Amino acid sequence: MIQLICIAKKYVTTVLILLLFGLLFMPPSEAGLREQVFETVLPNGLKVILLENHKSPLVTFQVWYRVGSRNEPWGKTGMTHVLEHMMFKGTEKTGPEEFSRIIQENGGNDNAFTSRDYTAYFQNLSSDRIQVSLDLESDRMQNLLLREEDFRTERMVVMEERRLRTEDNPTGVLVEQLQASAFQVHPYRWPIIGRMEDLKRLTLDDLKEYYKTYYNPSNAFLVVVGDFKKEELLPRIAKAFSSYSKGVAPNQERDKEPFQMGERRIFVKKEAQLPTILMAYHVPNLHDPDSYVLEVIATLLSGGKSSRLYQNLVREKKLVLRADADYSLLSHDPYLFYLSAEPLPNKVNAEVEKALDQEIERLQRELVSERELEKVKNQMEASFIFGQDSIFYQAMVLAQHEIAFGWRAIDDYLPSIRKVTPEDIQRVAKKYLISDNRTVGILIPLPPKEGKPLPEGTSIKEKIIR
Amino acid sequence: MNAKILKTIMLILLLVCLCLQSNVSLALPSVQRTVLPNQLVLLVCEDHSLPFVTIQLLIPSGSNRDPSGEEGLSYLTAKGLILGTLKRNATVINEELDFIGASLHSSSGRDYATLNIRVLKKDLEKGLDLFMEVLTQPTFPEEEVKREVQKTLAAIQSAEDDPGDVAEKEFQKALFLGSPYAHPVEGTRESLPRITRKAVLQFFKTYYHPSNSIFTIVGDITSDEVKKILLPTLISWPTVEIHKRPFQSTFAKGPETVKINRNITQANMILGHQGVSRENPDYYALTVMNYILGGGGFSSRLVEEIRVKRGLAYSVGSFFDVGKYLGSFQIVLQTKNESAKEAITLSLQEMERIQKNLVLEKDLERTKRYLIGSFPMRLNTQGKLANFFTQVEYYGLGLDYPEKYPSFIQSISREDVLRVAQKYLHPKNAILVIVANLKEAGME
Repeated sequence: MIQLICIAKKYVTTVLILLLFGLLFMPPSEAGLREQVFETVLPNGLKVILLENHKSPLVTFQVWYRVGSRNEPWGKTGMTHVLEHMMFKGTEKTGPEEFSRIIQENGGNDNAFTSRDYTAYFQNLSSDRIQVSLDLESDRMQNLLLREEDFRTERMVVMEERRLRTEDNPTGVLVEQLQASAFQVHPYRWPIIGRMEDLKRLTLDDLKEYYKTYYNPSNAFLVVVGDFKKEELLPRIAKAFSSYSKGVAPNQERDKEPFQMGERRIFVKKEAQLPTILMAYHVPNLHDPDSYVLEVIATLLSGGKSSRLYQNLVREKKLVLRADADYSLLSHDPYLFYLSAEPLPNKVNAEVEKALDQEIERLQRELVSERELEKVKNQMEASFIFGQDSIFYQAMVLAQHEIAFGWRAIDDYLPSIRKVTPEDIQRVAKKYLISDNRTVGILIPLPPKEGKPLPEGTSIKEKIIR
Repeated sequence: MNAKILKTIMLILLLVCLCLQSNVSLALPSVQRTVLPNQLVLLVCEDHSLPFVTIQLLIPSGSNRDPSGEEGLSYLTAKGLILGTLKRNATVINEELDFIGASLHSSSGRDYATLNIRVLKKDLEKGLDLFMEVLTQPTFPEEEVKREVQKTLAAIQSAEDDPGDVAEKEFQKALFLGSPYAHPVEGTRESLPRITRKAVLQFFKTYYHPSNSIFTIVGDITSDEVKKILLPTLISWPTVEIHKRPFQSTFAKGPETVKINRNITQANMILGHQGVSRENPDYYALTVMNYILGGGGFSSRLVEEIRVKRGLAYSVGSFFDVGKYLGSFQIVLQTKNESAKEAITLSLQEMERIQKNLVLEKDLERTKRYLIGSFPMRLNTQGKLANFFTQVEYYGLGLDYPEKYPSFIQSISREDVLRVAQKYLHPKNAILVIVANLKEAGME
């Protein structure tokens, strides 16, 4: 009996010690976020998503509002983004631009970003300063002052931002034009930064109404990732946001884009050095399981230097400086699968287009080999693991899933990717990557010399003074 | 239950509780430093939270060693490492890396080149093998080098669409007056076509050696694995002495204006002059001063005056671009053409203001709190850690630099800030580069 107890004691000790080490060094299993993430909805409708990660004594605190450029009315494009800027212009308690200063003074960084589907605000700080975020974010959710003089200057700032990103950027103009052609009805047709004409005539009243409609607890959620204890943090969150009554969750329906019935082709002529070719295909989002196949196709085409576009167009055929496939399944409404290419000097655009078409045709005609598919899946799995190293990235991925579908979908990502077969790829390529379904955009450098190189030995200074 | 068993269980539980709680202050990850027999410095930082490792190798040879007329040689050599080895051509290397989901990158800066890999723990040996192979046995095939030259030329051409990039290149050219920092790291349209495979091979043979190089590994590796897997392969890299070349700079003494006309809506401007090197003892005082002037985002004066108060710019800031040798100081901003002159005036005013008046105590305090408080965020991913420790070693800051940093910053006084502003800012002798529609900017 005593011997049994001695053995039992050793066993128990070993098990407990292993448990101890396991708890300290347990890597977050990618199949297990559902077990690690805690979700709750406060009485006022605010959803709270928490993920503890004690690797470093830091926290990322994020507030995501379900409002993006897709929610704007025609004629007031860019309003969501302008409102994002105005969120830093103060409340009764916090003066204009004090927000960022306070965060910085607490050793943190902060910023915000607006997309087609959402507006997000984040602070990265030491875990012992979370209360600062709680106080500031809860305050500005509904207590913005929105003053005329701040609006006037901030609108000027946004116009400078548009000049920087689009007006003086030939590819930016091309993308804007492309989206306006690929989408004729859906709000994705206008740019997130807004049209310059709309920015100029936007009013403070427009913003106030927009703020009232979209900035309320039922239309927002918090994501907090990092070094905190949820039992300790949750009551503090509840307290900070408790003063808000449940708002009305705004209607999120937007006009659906009608089926595209044939290829569209646009040209943009602008002063530029090299042409750019874009091809955008209408594709589904996370709501459709084909979206996982499209993710695999994107990596197959342009993930890494052994990818098809790089190997064939950059290395072998020497046609392009770069070529990429871009797709994200995390779009609220169905969006686009992009192919892009920047031809090398002295190359003919038609040749580059043909090479891109050949890559698509190959996907439709030939089954991907087991080895190549395995490679792509390995790349995607490794990438997922690398991404877990950043609490900011973890929060972003959770939040983006939540906007598009629900954060729990994140656990389906890798398993769904693993299930994709060569036949799936062929089927999906045949279904969506067809010319009737695409819009082609071509940037033609002015003066329009298609692909000809500049004279040899032209010094930089000579060439640019026009 | 037996009292002894109960006592043991409670002890274990206590240990569990203590360990779970003590996780909070993991602010300073520990790093082991070893100098290998071949003079390679090895830095190892264990972090087992995720099953992968990050490696960064620093070779202390950058574009500042490009021979005159062969600007871009250091860059091509770095890029060339992964374009083929004795055992594998570029296609095979790319395929093998992608198959294990690893990313291997090489690049060159002004002072040094780096080779980086990120690889899953389960593929560590394979990743390491490829890493060392491209590092020690590249062959720089003629065709590949030529193709890389063409790609780089195209990239340079494409970059001319970016007025900010144009401004930056013009600024470096104007400020550094033909000294080793004057040319773009990737070379120029004139220099690149002159570079031969032979030159690349020679550059590699001259500089890619363990002496003065730094190998940093962060992540899921144990000291046992370092001994068994890593060391044998690192030690086999043969030592060759590298001649230290003296570095000479000449700087333009302003004031000077470089104007470039473009049909764009914004004036892209750089206002700047000679700066300091990383090793300047005033570096910390300058960090504090610059934060207040224009480095601290919304806590800085340039952002307050130019963006917040007047809405003249989306992006505006200042920085000291430091390297191993004397670098530059720059104020960089973009504003609509019509506001260019106003923005320049405001920038110069702020430079003069911080030279004339002591900064407020509260501004100094705020700055210190940010610099010290945000320090842990420099260390919260494997990539950041690898880069951080490599830099610390490169600049000889000492591995206890994270512990010393707070006191470096805390000790800065308002008088220090004034002193360094007066010594290192030169508003009256600045170089202005403006890329704009010069007519609309009123600067024809």
